[in-house]
Amino acid sequence: MKPFRFKAIINDRPVELLIPPNRRLLDLLREDLDLTGVKEGCGEGECGACTVLLDGRPVNSCLVLAPEASGRKITTIEGLASAGRLHPLQEAFLEAGAVQCGYCTPGMILAAKALLEENPDPDEQTVKTAISGNLCRCTGYVKIVRAVRLAAVKMAGKGGGR
Amino acid sequence: MNSESRGGKGPELTSFPEGPGFRVVGRSLPRVDGTAKVTGGARFAADCKLPGMLFARVLRSTVPHAVLRRLDAAGALSLPGVAAVFTAADIPGNNAVGIIVKDEPVLVETGGRIRRIGDPLALVVGESEAVLEAALAKIKVEYEELPPVFSPLEAMREGAPQIHEKGNVQSVTRIKKGDVEAALAQAKFVVTHRYTTQMVEHAYLETEAGVAAVENGLLVIWVSTQNPHYDRREVARVLNLGQHRVRIVQAPTGGGFGGKLDISVQCLLGLAAWKTGRPVKMCYRREESMIASTKRHPFVIDYTSACDGEGRLLAVKVRIVGDTGAYASYGPPTLKRAAVHATGPYEVPNVFIESFCVYTNNPPAGAMRGFGVPQIAFAHESQMDLLAEAVGCDPFTIRLRNCYRTGSVTATGQRLTASVGIEETILRARARAQELGIWRGEP
Amino acid sequence: MLPSFHYYQPESLAEALNLLADLPGPKKVLAGGTDVIPALSRGELAVEHLVSLKKLDELREIRRVGANLHVGALVTFRELVSSPLVAGFCRLLGEAAAAVGGPQVRNQGTVGGNVVNASPAGDLLPPLFALGAQVKLCRRGGERVLPLAEFLLGMGKTMLMPEEILTEVIFPALPGGAASSFVKLGRRNSLAISRISMAVIIFRNRQGRIEEARLALGAVAPRPVRAERAEALLKGRCPGPALLEEAVAAIAETVAAILGRRASAPYKRVAVKGVARQALLRAVPEFGKP
Ligand SMILES: Cc1cc2nc3c(=O)[nH]c(=O)nc-3n(C[C@H](O)[C@H](O)[C@H](O)COP(=O)(O)OP(=O)(O)OC[C@H]3O[C@@H](n4cnc5c(N)ncnc54)[C@H](O)[C@@H]3O)c2cc1C
Ligand code: FES
Ligand code: FES
Repeated sequence: MKPFRFKAIINDRPVELLIPPNRRLLDLLREDLDLTGVKEGCGEGECGACTVLLDGRPVNSCLVLAPEASGRKITTIEGLASAGRLHPLQEAFLEAGAVQCGYCTPGMILAAKALLEENPDPDEQTVKTAISGNLCRCTGYVKIVRAVRLAAVKMAGKGGGR
Repeated sequence: MNSESRGGKGPELTSFPEGPGFRVVGRSLPRVDGTAKVTGGARFAADCKLPGMLFARVLRSTVPHAVLRRLDAAGALSLPGVAAVFTAADIPGNNAVGIIVKDEPVLVETGGRIRRIGDPLALVVGESEAVLEAALAKIKVEYEELPPVFSPLEAMREGAPQIHEKGNVQSVTRIKKGDVEAALAQAKFVVTHRYTTQMVEHAYLETEAGVAAVENGLLVIWVSTQNPHYDRREVARVLNLGQHRVRIVQAPTGGGFGGKLDISVQCLLGLAAWKTGRPVKMCYRREESMIASTKRHPFVIDYTSACDGEGRLLAVKVRIVGDTGAYASYGPPTLKRAAVHATGPYEVPNVFIESFCVYTNNPPAGAMRGFGVPQIAFAHESQMDLLAEAVGCDPFTIRLRNCYRTGSVTATGQRLTASVGIEETILRARARAQELGIWRGEP
Repeated sequence: MLPSFHYYQPESLAEALNLLADLPGPKKVLAGGTDVIPALSRGELAVEHLVSLKKLDELREIRRVGANLHVGALVTFRELVSSPLVAGFCRLLGEAAAAVGGPQVRNQGTVGGNVVNASPAGDLLPPLFALGAQVKLCRRGGERVLPLAEFLLGMGKTMLMPEEILTEVIFPALPGGAASSFVKLGRRNSLAISRISMAVIIFRNRQGRIEEARLALGAVAPRPVRAERAEALLKGRCPGPALLEEAVAAIAETVAAILGRRASAPYKRVAVKGVARQALLRAVPEFGKP
């Protein structure tokens, strides 16, 4: 296995490292870069806990071979808060009580972020569809949906968010 | 206020007073760990990294019932990167765990009994996760297979394969009140049915995981758990250490729902860290979590209910058989709880309930949200619907006719003196069903 | 942990085809990876060489060429869902793509992967069957075009040779008046593979009479199946509730015969009626109007 030169912009920072090509993006983020906000729940695309944004779109990082993400822009939950200020989605999740054990939370927030960037005022059904690739075993989803819509309101108030 | 004064008058206090002097009570407060959880900063056990850390994985039985004849780990030990392979022989203390009955080995010993697919046989410890898979494949295991039993009803029969020395019936609960047979003989309507419920996996989003290290002579285990105090006692007993030398730290826990009340990685991690002197980490993959963890008890319920011409309950007779799988875990109290709740929220003058917690070679069943009650609720509520049909009244009416009220006496003889909300619940449910247009009966 | 393999990122189709022709030993191409990566991590797939299609942007296009639509192999489900060409000329393909997995899988998974994976439950297959799609297969120094019905051999089996790449799927664009739909029954609404699916295309004349009906069922056999008896029965008639029930009964009969005695048969025999009713009504609402 020839090592692969991986280059990407991760959370707005350029990253370059040599990796074995059989590394999953999930492991590269967690093990090599210590971005452990990316969670593994199933390792086969079923739970969404490992969701990251690739060029702004949510993907399951457990299903992405790291070299495939090379040259692209990657966002993990660690890249959301800026200068010590929470992203409106993070605030909304706290305010709406959408966080219980928190294991699904990073993936949920990222899936929601991709949605709100495309659709700043989604209705309930649209939110449900957008998070339908993310399992939560604790909350029952109601408060998560509420949180996403609350975030939309917050972001509209700030002129479309950050 | 004392509870007596609230009885029967409906809810007086629906919310706590807000105002000066109340900074916590009655207010929505942010979770203490909320910010860490929304920023990705919360360190779950699998997120921990310690310098010089080793990794561990369990070799599990692939057969449901057998005697472990031989286990040869030489092949695994010869692989570069394998630090150790531990077996039952390495356990310094008592090789048995269990919240109620210590019937589950931490590692099955040679000559010992395998009671389910997934019983732990050996623990491989290595320098990287990558080496573990290959190492597991190199361990040679010889089984002497025994006939398995997968049905609790079969397990209760004479001559069934014996899974534990004391027999397959782990525990029995009996509740008697009045004279059921006489009441049945007089009743106008009698309905009898068998209800079966399935095994359920908790599927907490975070699989079992932990990290153990020895720090200044103290064994510290950071672990995803619902039961740190119990964990400490078990780890101490298994390793033959004083409890003062074991510290369990509950890591942020990614869901449990009862399934993380049992021992999973704790004792094995403790063993590996204690023996190697190095930090050790172990995370189950989802498949392993499914195979190794406890489940909701599947029940077989034989339920007879009887009422008079107006739908007043006269008697219930219930026999519950719960499949606790290979080990007791929380089986005995789960089956007891099911028995205690078997009449549902209804007052019944004559009751006979029997519940059995039975071993099989299935995955062990333990605690899960509701603890035996959801299973039995399926049965008693189905019975109420069937009785209503027999009597010719609607499902709300028959429930209102029988539900507990202040002063009711339960099957176990408890007189309910306060906080009996079922009548109001039924009334509100009926009103809501009418509002939604899904119920068109009487108001 | 994935097993080890050699990994290549060719810059062009020609380079990729050369690699596939020259590499010895077990090899696979990698598109979205939503089938390949889980298979690798479960140890179900052993490859020595993995050839990534990532840089082959020429396979990402949806084009209209004359009367035909050409859908590149690397087009993702998401792109199908949002493509105006798909909405205009083969709506049912967009509906099927929207029913796949969840958003994450739709962002990654591709048309080529769905076809080559050849799962009985592959959601794009019934619509492509109904559309009469062909697949274009390229190898060094040659190419061939096969009808999808010939290309798919059965569960996980196709005519693809190890040195070939599927470059595009080609089918006649549906005319404006054609009605179509795709309906899927899964165990839940999202992240569920099809237990039964059905694709419908119906052409009607100006009087509303059905001139041709194409009904393709998924997940009832190793490959999609056309409900020919129902197709014949619909021909020349006007949609309405009575005809709907006749067609549903005929479809159910076809499916029952295919299912035989397999374990899921008692369930699917009944469930297919609901799927068929829904699919026909969605395509042609007049089926519900007396
Ligand atoms: C959680 C989850 C949910 C899913 N849900 C659904 C669903 O609802 N419906 C559904 O139909 N599918 C579903 N799938 C399966 C999968 O997403 C699809 O089959 C998808 O289309 C595969 O495409 P891919 O690009 O990811 O293929 P890959 O995994 O990259 O490849 C799949 C196979 O096709 C070959 N291949 C890919 N492209 C080419 C090409 N251009 N030429 C030659 N060979 C090629 C590969 O070598 C491999 O054998 C699901 C998968 C997951 C993980
Ligand atoms: S870990 Fe990737 S989807 Fe579950
Ligand atoms: S909060 Fe626990 S899984 Fe969602």
